[in-house]
Amino acid sequence: MNPSDMPLKSPSAAPVATTADPDVTNRDVEQVERALIDASTRLPVLFFYGSAIAWLLLGTLLAGFTSWKLHAPDWLSNVGFLTWGRVRPAHMNVMVYGWASMAGIGTAIWLMARLCRTTLRHPLLLICGGAFWNLGVLLGVGAILAGESTGYQWLEFPPYASSILFIAYSLVVSWAILMFRFRRGDHIYVTQWYLLGAFLWFPWVYGATQIMLFAVPLQGVMQEAATWWFGNNLLFLWFGAIGLGTVYYMIPKVIGRPVYSYHLAAIGFWSYAVFASWTGMQRLVDGPFPAWMITASIAATILTIIPVATVGLNHHMTMRGHFGLLRYSPTLRFTVFGAFSYTVFSLVGVLLSLRSVAGYVQFTEASIAYSHLGLYGFFTMVMFGSMYYIVPRLVGREWRYASLIKLHFWSSAYGVGLMVAMLLLGGLAQGTSMHDPTLAFTESTESILPYLRGRSVSGMLLTVAHLVFAFHFGLMLFGLGRTASVPTFLNPQEEETLEAPL
Amino acid sequence: MKGIVPLFLGIFGTFAFSWAGLILIPNYQIGHLEPQLDEDEKNPYPAPKSGMADRGRQIYAANGCVYCHSQQVRADYASTDIDRKWGERRSAPRDYLFDRPVVLGKMRLGPDLSNIGKRAPVEEESVSPAASPAPASPATPPASPAVNPAPGASPAPPATALAPPATSPAPASASPAAPANSPGPAMIAADTTSAANDKPAPYSAAWHHRHIYSPRSLVLDSNMPAYRFLYEKRRIGGERAADALTLGEGDAVPEGWEVVPTYDAKCLVAYLMSLDQSHPLNELKATAAASSSAPAAPAASPTPAPAKEAK
Repeated sequence: MNPSDMPLKSPSAAPVATTADPDVTNRDVEQVERALIDASTRLPVLFFYGSAIAWLLLGTLLAGFTSWKLHAPDWLSNVGFLTWGRVRPAHMNVMVYGWASMAGIGTAIWLMARLCRTTLRHPLLLICGGAFWNLGVLLGVGAILAGESTGYQWLEFPPYASSILFIAYSLVVSWAILMFRFRRGDHIYVTQWYLLGAFLWFPWVYGATQIMLFAVPLQGVMQEAATWWFGNNLLFLWFGAIGLGTVYYMIPKVIGRPVYSYHLAAIGFWSYAVFASWTGMQRLVDGPFPAWMITASIAATILTIIPVATVGLNHHMTMRGHFGLLRYSPTLRFTVFGAFSYTVFSLVGVLLSLRSVAGYVQFTEASIAYSHLGLYGFFTMVMFGSMYYIVPRLVGREWRYASLIKLHFWSSAYGVGLMVAMLLLGGLAQGTSMHDPTLAFTESTESILPYLRGRSVSGMLLTVAHLVFAFHFGLMLFGLGRTASVPTFLNPQEEETLEAPL
Repeated sequence: MKGIVPLFLGIFGTFAFSWAGLILIPNYQIGHLEPQLDEDEKNPYPAPKSGMADRGRQIYAANGCVYCHSQQVRADYASTDIDRKWGERRSAPRDYLFDRPVVLGKMRLGPDLSNIGKRAPVEEESVSPAASPAPASPATPPASPAVNPAPGASPAPPATALAPPATSPAPASASPAAPANSPGPAMIAADTTSAANDKPAPYSAAWHHRHIYSPRSLVLDSNMPAYRFLYEKRRIGGERAADALTLGEGDAVPEGWEVVPTYDAKCLVAYLMSLDQSHPLNELKATAAASSSAPAAPAASPTPAPAKEAK
């Protein structure tokens, strides 16, 4: 196999295409068709990507404030809108709703169009949705910094901002349903299950939680239960579903062979939907709740091992014999890193949810490590991978510098690895000192300080990664990419490695 | 997979299943609780917070206090929260009946605050008469809502809980002439330390104000950012304001200037002073009886709690 034609290989990702014989004319028709689909998605997808990357940079800046202030509490603390307690939720919301959601929607739009094999209709609707989404995030983050946060974690946006988000979302989702209506062929590929799930779960979960918190508020601690139900469902059913769907597309696509087992995929999807949606309350271990709620969520968290194992096995078997391609394909490298992080993320989640462990680490930075493992190690890395794949197809240029992609990958990988390690170990140190009542409480906050400084270092690595990526994306956007028929590979090709896969 | 209908139904089904299981049923179980009354149908707990304390909770939420401070005490078999004197019993759903937003918190970069109001000196206005009587006492905004002071002494009906200055033993800011009540033994201890360091007694309103303005002047190892934007530094016009902060050397303001809390800061402190989960709950009787014997009673706790448990 020659890597140069890899990305344009017949869509093994959509097994329906295997019925078409590898006839040259057929392939040409498909290529033209795909080019047309890509062209039709150009504006909305680039709009979503561009906004996402702008939010990513802002979120990184806010993250810098958040991280640094934790070990330098007096730094810039006299300005109301830069106080730690406002910058932190602002950072989180920018990353969740600005960066991750917009990047996810952009990728999902493109994947949907490709997999429904239909050109994008009504791109204006999507641009409109994207603009409203930006407006919602902007208003929400402004409100948080101005001191109007609602105080519900992950839902700090005041209702006026979240309702704008919801309108924006309705525009996008109505489009996605339209897309399904016009799809060609009645086979629905694995990625489409996940994407359809994400598109429907998000508005239901978000809408239901908004109603339960602001329109018909729940009493007392049930608000907290609703908040965590939302938080974990957002993590799993929105980001997780988009991320896994993308992985299911990108890995087979890049290496050019179908998904290993279709049945495993089905088991993985449905067990994921059932078990992951029941998580959330494990974050409230021994809190003022009926114990059965928490136990149910712990059990569900443990059961997520089933989908994690099936999905991981499926990807592994698909990849088997093609791991050598990780040397060349940026998309594959980011995607496989993300898929691997997903497994680690889930296992750490299981570990942290056990009552014996939670007793120590429940109120520590370990939960921050968990969120970053999911949102960055898994989701963001998969999104980077998909952007490396999709953007060249939209702008008709290839990425300019392989070295920049490498720099991006390694600073992201080391950055998030260091961050997670620091926060997990720091959380453990903090938790053990907190658990010992003979130590003063300040011992626990002192014990985590070195780890927090280490986290700031990891944040610098991530900042480098994001700046590099934004610069590279900007080059692509302004038509400064390479004009070549061959994608940008990370390393010069060595034919023999590829001819004889492991 | 063929056909969008089974896919759609499955997606909707999983959502509905999880919503019913984790929200609907628990809400049926603990979502419609009523305040608990004493045997004589009086003294409901919890009572709604005063207007200022309620607004203080919004300030607390908006400025992200919840990202470092939890407000939930775990049971003694699962944690050492009670050994740390963060509470005498575990928190229960009923403790949060009127909280909106409820700020249980997920992180303890700062200590738990479930009972921080209870840990205040009981008659805080008499704490530091020697050191600085004027600033210490009326810095208390109409702080202690009715739930805070000993309920047995002045049974505050729920209606008046909304107007704490009227029924609360703590002096309202309207009457700055602080009555020097007889200090308890705990306060004498606090008094001597405060006289020595010119520091307000821990967890009094004056202490909170100074702590929010300059955390490290009171707790050396504190990691908390200062919230100075909640305070106003101004030139003393005529007489020094009654609620001006007494500051340590590091934060001393020039002669002729003073630092006074804004209304937001007063609300925030009123909220902190109102945090108290010491009232015994019937549903926790068994555990409370077991745990109250184990840890030494917190220093300043002349509450009727033990008496009630005996009943």
